[in-house]
Amino acid sequence: MKRMSSLLSTGRSCGVTAALLASLAMANHAAFAADPIQIGVPVGLSGANSVVAPSVVQAAQLAVDEINAKGGILGRPVSLEVADDGSGAAGAQKAFDSLIFEKKVNALISMETSAARNAGLPIVTRGRVPFIYTSFYEGRSCNRYMYVDAWVPDQQVAPIVDYFMKQDKAKTFFLIGSDYAFGRGMLDFTKSYIEKHGGKVVGNEYLPMDGSDWTSIISKLQAAKPDAVITSTAGGAPNVTLTKQLRAAGVKIPYGNLAVDEGTAKSMGADAQGIYISGSYVTNIDTPANHAFLAAMQKRFGADLKTPNDLSVPEYEAIYLYKAAVEKAGTTDTAKVIPALAQVSFAGPRGTIQMDRERHTPLTMYLGQVQADGSVKVIESFKNVDPGEQCPALK
Amino acid sequence: MADPVSTMPLRTGGVSAWKAPVAIGVAALVVLAVCSVTLPTFLVNNLIRAFLYAAVALTVDLLWGYTGILTFGQSAFFGIGAYAAGLIFTHAGFSLPLAVGALAAGLGAAWIVSRMVGWLAFYHGASPLYASVVTLVLPIVLVQGIYSGGEFTGSSSGLSGFDSIDIPLEAWFFVAGAFLVGLAVTAWLFVRSDAGRLMVAIRENEARCEYLGINVSRYKARLMDACAVIAAFAGFLFACVQMVVAPEYAGFVFGTELVIWVALGGRGSLIGPIIGAMSIDVGSAYLSGNLPYVWTLLVGVAFVVVIVAMPRGLAPLVAGVARQAMPRRRRIAPAPVTFVAAQQRAGGFADNTRPALSLRNVQKHFGSLRVLDDISFDARAGELLSLIGPNGAGKSTLMRCIADGAERSAGTVEIGGTEIRTLAPYDCVALGVGRKFQTATVFESLSVAEALRIARYRVAPPSKWERDSTLELPQPALDVLRLTGLDRIPERECRYLSHGQKQALELAMVLALEPRTVLLDEPTAGLTKQERTQIGEIFVELSSRYRMCLLLVEHDLDFVQQISSRIVVLHQGRIVMDGSVEEVVHSDLVRAVYAGDAHAAANQPEEEA
Amino acid sequence: MLNLGLDVVTTAAILFIVSAGLLMVFGVMKIINFSHGAFLTIGGYATVIVAHAGLNWWWGVPCALAIGFVSGMAVERFIVRPLYARPLDAILATWGLGIIVGQIITLIFGRGVQMVASPVDGAISLLGTQYSAYRLILVGVALLIALALGWLLNGTRLGLQTRAVIMNEALARGLGISSSRVRFMTFCTGAALASAAGCLITPLASVDPNMGVPWIVGAFMLVLVSGSSLVSLAVASVVLGGAQVLVSTFINPVLGGLTIAVLAALLLRIRPEGFARG
Repeated sequence: MKRMSSLLSTGRSCGVTAALLASLAMANHAAFAADPIQIGVPVGLSGANSVVAPSVVQAAQLAVDEINAKGGILGRPVSLEVADDGSGAAGAQKAFDSLIFEKKVNALISMETSAARNAGLPIVTRGRVPFIYTSFYEGRSCNRYMYVDAWVPDQQVAPIVDYFMKQDKAKTFFLIGSDYAFGRGMLDFTKSYIEKHGGKVVGNEYLPMDGSDWTSIISKLQAAKPDAVITSTAGGAPNVTLTKQLRAAGVKIPYGNLAVDEGTAKSMGADAQGIYISGSYVTNIDTPANHAFLAAMQKRFGADLKTPNDLSVPEYEAIYLYKAAVEKAGTTDTAKVIPALAQVSFAGPRGTIQMDRERHTPLTMYLGQVQADGSVKVIESFKNVDPGEQCPALK
Repeated sequence: MADPVSTMPLRTGGVSAWKAPVAIGVAALVVLAVCSVTLPTFLVNNLIRAFLYAAVALTVDLLWGYTGILTFGQSAFFGIGAYAAGLIFTHAGFSLPLAVGALAAGLGAAWIVSRMVGWLAFYHGASPLYASVVTLVLPIVLVQGIYSGGEFTGSSSGLSGFDSIDIPLEAWFFVAGAFLVGLAVTAWLFVRSDAGRLMVAIRENEARCEYLGINVSRYKARLMDACAVIAAFAGFLFACVQMVVAPEYAGFVFGTELVIWVALGGRGSLIGPIIGAMSIDVGSAYLSGNLPYVWTLLVGVAFVVVIVAMPRGLAPLVAGVARQAMPRRRRIAPAPVTFVAAQQRAGGFADNTRPALSLRNVQKHFGSLRVLDDISFDARAGELLSLIGPNGAGKSTLMRCIADGAERSAGTVEIGGTEIRTLAPYDCVALGVGRKFQTATVFESLSVAEALRIARYRVAPPSKWERDSTLELPQPALDVLRLTGLDRIPERECRYLSHGQKQALELAMVLALEPRTVLLDEPTAGLTKQERTQIGEIFVELSSRYRMCLLLVEHDLDFVQQISSRIVVLHQGRIVMDGSVEEVVHSDLVRAVYAGDAHAAANQPEEEA
Repeated sequence: MLNLGLDVVTTAAILFIVSAGLLMVFGVMKIINFSHGAFLTIGGYATVIVAHAGLNWWWGVPCALAIGFVSGMAVERFIVRPLYARPLDAILATWGLGIIVGQIITLIFGRGVQMVASPVDGAISLLGTQYSAYRLILVGVALLIALALGWLLNGTRLGLQTRAVIMNEALARGLGISSSRVRFMTFCTGAALASAAGCLITPLASVDPNMGVPWIVGAFMLVLVSGSSLVSLAVASVVLGGAQVLVSTFINPVLGGLTIAVLAALLLRIRPEGFARG
């Protein structure tokens, strides 16, 4: 037995050393006396989220660096532990287990896919660690230890639909999505919102998540002749294939894409021009806080900078929110931090953030349109959009 | 088609074979109990998952490594068990009766799906490629079903947050570990048992098994049913301990991962999949975080290298090293077997007065090419009938038409008075006909005794747990074994037999079926003069003393002349002569046929026997 | 109605283009090349390389053919040839290869989706309806490939040898035909075709390290159903591709995605030769 546990502790120290080496670039070695507060970041380094994960890690890194430069949290340095959740359930279980039980982090702050988040929540509950979820998602996921500082459908859909109805006088809409929780959740909400405001949905079609052949759906769209089309596909390939095929078929009606981010839109080139997107962050937000943030990111990462986006900026702000909550509670003890997280606020690139609506956050939403050069022009902004009743049981 | 991968020997001496596995099992349980409280939480969490994955990998190995069915679909059954728990606990809540109900539902659903897969994939004449295709399509269809289930199934996000059996993590560690140990011990007993050797026989030579009267398709389907239920149970336990289910657990990527683990660990052994699954899964928990892409690349490369260059996987290497490290280990040998004479079965075929074989107007054509045309004759008990004719006359085709009901295009074949219609070979065997192939087809990895026991499968089904130390064989089979010396080497592996010995063994296997009629396809091919004389004596004895009907296809006309009681001459798919040895040997017609004077042959009228 | 018909024809054309390479390999070597998806991906990335080099998109096709052919040579020599006698293991090894290629491409190009400009944009007006111009072009390309392969098989000496090997390898060897050379050339041609197909589908799909994976199962089932005949493949593409379009349109696209696999499996159960003659 002794040999076994010493073997294991050797194994464990090997693992810890390796992790430390890997996150050497991310950990900050300030000369503090107290032991560090560890923030765990389980994120999709491989798998579907691997394109956006580096930007999330960079945002986290900048936040930690800035906090440590100003003395840390309660006099203790902050360190970052990044783990790969493979963008899926099985990987998330390993990553959450590793962070909570092996590395013994004080908090988890990150974005994952819904499958990964759902797989991690039981482990969060068992480990009793605060978890700030920083990704937009389909809503209504509730857990005693979780807060969300990103948007839900109730916040994202309204700007686009309102704009189409007002500006383009659109009455009939065609909805296209990927058949999974987020796609269906978004479009279900969109459908009821449209109908509540006097519009009509003349088509609502889904393809399997990995489907790339939109032919029959596009044919249906052309037969239905709607005034506008709104899509919510899985990120990455489905977005691109749908847009390409829509343009190839000559579809020119107003096109609102609920699931594309600035970076993907930029790389889509000419096909993306004219698409309307809605989110809580675009790089063109004209506020001092955003300009300062962008400058700091540029300075810290230089040529390696991955464009900040609607998934990475909430991460930055969430770390600051955690800092504020710990300072307010006076301790990292979970039982005290959890209620404090609802009471603190932070003025970040997206505006003033406070997670006080049933664990979710009222946000300023921006409606933008992709320009010919790939940039996104902000057309309208809507302040303090309410997330709605997300977790009534967790008042 | 046989993949030339042999099974790792997993035997210990001794008849009370169950003692060793059970003892090891109990020891493993003790180790588990101790580990559950001493290991750190992170490792305990990982090992719980790894134990359940290893259990599913074990089922993949039973199907693929042992029986030769490449399956990508065990993940689907794992997913069915998991979702049964997830769905019921999410929508109906949790309680002990509900848990039992969910388990029953999961196992039942897995069994039903397995029956469907079995119907699709395992039937006489199915290709192994098609079976693999079906197992590939299964998880894809299942996952799409889960995605389309919307909020009911949780779609791509899965279901989580449901209540489950509330026992501490250490207890779950013991439960999952005990499940794996129990499964491994049971599998060990089964694989070593006489019935378990059939899996290897099927993998190596499926056609031979069918012609020994074994309903191979049904065996495979039953095996898949058992493995499906086991995988579903593992999935159920997984959902209970993890309290989350997601489509990726039912998907085809997980299914291929299982195959990869088995291949790397060592297929055809029981410890291989366990080692492969556990080391790669636990390894990835520690390593993949640091090198996510490189890890997958390394596994991929290792997989390809193992498949191409080391098909038995890495376990045999490890075992080899272990064996060298423990040089005093006794060289393990299979249990010794003695052959005894079987009781004459009452109501055997000897009482039947109808002809052993009766063919009427049998025809076989491929498109417009007629291979057999209007073949009609009877063969009775005690006759030694030789079928001769130049190459391409249709002799082998005729043999196939007698033993396989689906082969002929028209006409009737009766065996012992019963029409075979379109019966598969294993059913034809049940009617009393045995077929010996032209090239000696035995089971390379099995011993002489094991091969003969497989041949007795239909008559005396072997035990699923035990290894019998005696084997009953009918007298004709024993005679063949004694005459050729095979009865003195029952434990020798078939691959080490000489060509003549293999021919004799196959004949003994066919005779072990206690057939009334034996079809022999060029039995003297490749034999020495002495062996030829020997086997000729055996044939004569079989027909005269044991009253069997023998039908021989032969090219060696001297041999035919010496032993036959009757000769049928075939030419271009028709019977041109059917008579006694003297008549045929002195016939001008036959000489013309063999010399190639087809015109003269076609013009001669047929002669009745 | 016309739209639906065009959908069916263009879908069949795309399926034919993607499956033709796999058919060649299966027909001659009787193994399923599961790295077909990897070759599709390689072809897709060939267009990325061509775009980076600033050349016209159409240069991607010969580039893809060349890269595919060369990669096929290495794969046949080191992975497929040792596994001639073990067809099930060949499936696994080629699947493993697919994983390896995917990871290598990720390490070189990154996991992101690459954008490649289409050579032909937009829709054209056809008999009163708007239809994607590129899809119509692909119908022409499919016909071209069918004719080219047909000429290769029926009009050249190598093609004659290939057909002999397809029908009866042992006999062909006995007649002095080098079956290993035929297998080698066939595999390389099949791989080159797969890469070209990958290149041709990029205007309709995106280029990412896993772009080939969704096509594998569909192509695989079509080939099983077609045996070794180009004509059967064309028939299968139209029938099964048409079924996919009809189910997607009138029932639901999720079931549509499963149509080819499920229908093919059922068809093979009832008639193991599929669409092939006799």
